[in-house]
Amino acid sequence: MNNSLMQTLRALVRLKPSKKLERDYLVSLVIAVALAFVVGAGILLICGHNPIACYASLFKGALGTKRAFANTLAKTMTLALCGLAMSVAAKAGMFNVGGEGQLYFGAMAAAIVGAYVKGLPGWAVTLLALLAAVAAGGLFALLPGWLKVQWKVDEVITTIMLNTAAIYFCTYLANGPLKTTEKGIAQGTASIMKEASLQKLVPLSNLTTGIFYAAVAALLIWYLMSRSTTGFEMKLTGNNDRFALYGGVSTKKLMLWSMVLSGMLCGLVGMLETFGLHGRFIVSVSNEFYFDGMLVAMIMRYNPLGTMLMSFFFAILNIGGRAMERSAGIPSELILIVQSVIIFFMAAEGGIRTSLKNRAAVRKARREAARKEAV
Amino acid sequence: MGEIFNVLLLQTTLRSATPVVLAAMGCLLTQHVNMTNIGIDGMMLIGAFFAVLGSYFFGSWAAGLGLAILCGILLGLFYYVFVIKFGSDEFIIGVALNIFAGGLTVFLLRTVFQVKGAFSDPALVPLPTIHLPLIRHIPVLGQLLSGHTLLVYVSWALVLILWAFIYKTPAGVHLRASGEYPAALTACGKSPEKMKCFASVACGILACVAGAHLSLGYLTMFAENMSASRGYVAFACVIFGRGNPLIVFLAALLFGFIDALGLRLQNYIPSDLTAMAPYLVTVVMMVVVVLWERRKKKS
Repeated sequence: MNNSLMQTLRALVRLKPSKKLERDYLVSLVIAVALAFVVGAGILLICGHNPIACYASLFKGALGTKRAFANTLAKTMTLALCGLAMSVAAKAGMFNVGGEGQLYFGAMAAAIVGAYVKGLPGWAVTLLALLAAVAAGGLFALLPGWLKVQWKVDEVITTIMLNTAAIYFCTYLANGPLKTTEKGIAQGTASIMKEASLQKLVPLSNLTTGIFYAAVAALLIWYLMSRSTTGFEMKLTGNNDRFALYGGVSTKKLMLWSMVLSGMLCGLVGMLETFGLHGRFIVSVSNEFYFDGMLVAMIMRYNPLGTMLMSFFFAILNIGGRAMERSAGIPSELILIVQSVIIFFMAAEGGIRTSLKNRAAVRKARREAARKEAV
Repeated sequence: MGEIFNVLLLQTTLRSATPVVLAAMGCLLTQHVNMTNIGIDGMMLIGAFFAVLGSYFFGSWAAGLGLAILCGILLGLFYYVFVIKFGSDEFIIGVALNIFAGGLTVFLLRTVFQVKGAFSDPALVPLPTIHLPLIRHIPVLGQLLSGHTLLVYVSWALVLILWAFIYKTPAGVHLRASGEYPAALTACGKSPEKMKCFASVACGILACVAGAHLSLGYLTMFAENMSASRGYVAFACVIFGRGNPLIVFLAALLFGFIDALGLRLQNYIPSDLTAMAPYLVTVVMMVVVVLWERRKKKS
């Protein structure tokens, strides 16, 4: 029995996040998070608040009640999907910064299907909207992806530019040709079919059955990235595309597809927001959700499992930050500062560690030299 | 058509191009030392905020500009230390800087000025407007070139100064060498790191000054996220001009022209559509420059 227990344990150990996240890195992560909280506490002190009370209200606001916890889970879902979208492209060496625009296109496509497809049962409309959103997001990512693999046009700039363009375009649609005619509704497109919208799992919260869709998508992405040959080929391409090409990987195709896949995930997020929360396309469907998810993915070095776990932590900060704003009147943007401090430290983590090591080595050498002189 | 295409259009072009020109001048310096600074947008935002802060509390535009420059120096040093000293990923630091700037400025806007969205106040002192002595009396040219705020003229001067500096002085050669072939510079007994530090700090200053122009020159207010991706546009202009200040300047003018044209066309086309134009043009610009370079390589 002992033996089989060992085997199970070994299997579990093998399932742990990929080797890139070594122990040192995770230790650094904990230190970075602690430091970021200290920075946040410093800002709170300067503004005349009690940091401990504020942080307590933050965690209580994110995890305290069933509804709060459900909201945190819903936020985790959004962040994790966006983070996975970033990871899946970044693993193959494509930086998709344009997820926000892809999300908007997905949300718009879903809203159009939800509002204008008639005569089908609810579940069919949901499915159709899902497909439309995924297709819209994927197609919108295809353009910068194609420009990159075909002509090596820098995808960071093009995706950022297309973000702004897409948001303006969707705003135009929502304020112009597709504006709702319902009375008492100030903005947004026509409302989607009632039966097609996603059911709430916890009343009055943001948590809907969308989380199951998200879970399936996340599982597929995790499998693709960590367990499949394609994932390995993507990693090869991302690390050194010429070597991958030499090794027989069709790198261009892979890069293009990873970009499209990334866009599809963003489209899915847009659909889940539209069908789960708003019931129509609204201009504020996303508040830079993709950028938050992107940062999570960057901190976890594009590791899918790590991204999902870190999303939960960032969701706590996000939801808790808003609760803190309501109860203590502290602008929730404080959380953005805390998050970016974590990222600064994690990006510099390797460098800081080396420079500390070097300094320690220098000190040691000096001490030894001094000792020799004394002798 | 006369209503749309007139001298005023060109004047607006110059006005709205200036923040991009200033930021792009900073960006091209970092580009020459082979650092990719994506964080310019955030630096602009921080500069814009602190310029308003300085102008409001000290009652002088010079204080605002000074505070923005101070922020620029700090941000430039920060960027240098993280990217060169600690060897962090420039892309991650840049993106994080932009998010940090968004968070910081909104947080401060709400704690210091107690407002949401935007802050404007009669107590804000804008940058001075300069009327050129002789040119102002020439009919069209006077209208076009005179009566801009201080930083507009500074930006024009900078284009020429930087061009001369980068291509005509020994220090400029060192600057480019530290990006293209640092080993050669080290062999000459010069430090590529120092050059990178200089470029990074200069970039920080220029980006923050560009922000100051946004909040004290172009408008007299601070609004959340008012840089509106202009930092990225500046970056695209630098790529387009391959670091040559003169071509970068022309690219920025093109952006300004499209922006100004969009504002003019609002009466005929929904403003959301015209607002898309500068960003789409930037994408096209990126494609054109790449195709152009490929053709050159082939022949």
